[in-house]
Amino acid sequence: MVYGCYSMKNTVILSPYEVVYVTTLVTGFIVLLLIAIYYALRSRRIRNTSVYLSGEPESVVSLITPSIASLYWGFIKKFAKSLYKVLVERVHTGSLHDWYKFLSSWFSLLLIIAIIAFILTSLIG
Amino acid sequence: MEISTLIFSITIFPGLLFMVSLAFLTQYLVRKLSARYQRRMGPSYVGPFGLLQPLFDFLKLLRVKEIVKTKYSMIRAAEFSLILGIAFIISSTILLPLSPYNVAGEFDILVFFYMTSIMPIFMLIIAALTTPNPYTNIGVSRLLSVLTIAEPAYFASLVVPVYLATRGKTPFMSISNTYIYVPNLWLQASTLVIMLLSTLAYIISVQVKAMFPPFNIPEAEQEIIAGFETEFSGPILALARLLHDLDLTIALIVGVYVLLGGPAPFRHFSVNGAIVLIIKYTILLLAVVTVKNIMGRYRIEQALTQIFKYGLIPALLSSIFALVIYH
Repeated sequence: MVYGCYSMKNTVILSPYEVVYVTTLVTGFIVLLLIAIYYALRSRRIRNTSVYLSGEPESVVSLITPSIASLYWGFIKKFAKSLYKVLVERVHTGSLHDWYKFLSSWFSLLLIIAIIAFILTSLIG
Repeated sequence: MEISTLIFSITIFPGLLFMVSLAFLTQYLVRKLSARYQRRMGPSYVGPFGLLQPLFDFLKLLRVKEIVKTKYSMIRAAEFSLILGIAFIISSTILLPLSPYNVAGEFDILVFFYMTSIMPIFMLIIAALTTPNPYTNIGVSRLLSVLTIAEPAYFASLVVPVYLATRGKTPFMSISNTYIYVPNLWLQASTLVIMLLSTLAYIISVQVKAMFPPFNIPEAEQEIIAGFETEFSGPILALARLLHDLDLTIALIVGVYVLLGGPAPFRHFSVNGAIVLIIKYTILLLAVVTVKNIMGRYRIEQALTQIFKYGLIPALLSSIFALVIYH
């Protein structure tokens, strides 16, 4: 049952692709219109200043945006806690011995995989 | 239909002029209702009952205030991305049955979602990052964190009613077709629970998208200055505010059509239908403003947990129920 009485006479039914084309064209038209209105009305006054850092000098932040390394470690710390724990508690302990143990275990694994691959390719040809 | 109808639809009603006016009215209502909740007067002096205060604020930022830029700012990129975000929202109105030149097609809800939910937020983030600042970066990262959970909830809260309403009908998954059948979904016991869950997920996700308390952590004032808006000023701040208001306005309009059935039980383009549309829009806005004013700000991890609990889980449950019952 359709509740009430409706008509769709003001509706143009198109294919999904045509809907995308029409909406994209309309968006382009609106962008041009808005740019014309905005640049006709906007204030032309521009003041140059330093970055707002609550009164602190710019030197308190070494980089204006976070470095790639900071983003990477931030992500690992937040979303891969167990991996971060292993890396901090077993690898980056400050002891060269721990670092060597971690790396040698991985290198041993890689070496074993390389030997197996070599044997298999020799046997199979 | 004629090209003049299309031009009228995208420039006057319900396009540019109507949407911008409605966005200002929505901002006025949010400020006025919030003020009354807090025993303040709210906007009172500009125009009758202070109605023109948002327009006055916008024009003052646009025409009088200066753009404050740093050596890292990319002003043109910020302006263009904000204008593009606004244009996406305004042009999406031709997909609504409200438009005298209404374009519909199968799966047009996906196009609508892309234009009104993904692109505006994406453009706002780009604009924020073109005016870099440590506070801006924190605000953007918080915004991305909350939206990662809220956007799927918003998407599901709209797609599920559209799917249920347009099953077996042409065009399938179309907003224009949905509102006609939505009242039936509220009247059937099997779909009533689904609609209630979708409405709950919708209210929570709109609260997040509008960055209203308790989910205003991306622009947490005092704590991170103004978050992603810290380096916005003058005309750029005017555009950012307008984009924010339009984002809320279009979310409420689509909620009225997809969740509450648009002008039902009356016809479209009738006086009764228009009154019902205004009442439903006001009810949704009142719900959002009430939540805004009775809750305090969550910390980021609290916000993520609450959005997950009360936004994403109801949205997932409604999706599962809809698939189990009707697939």
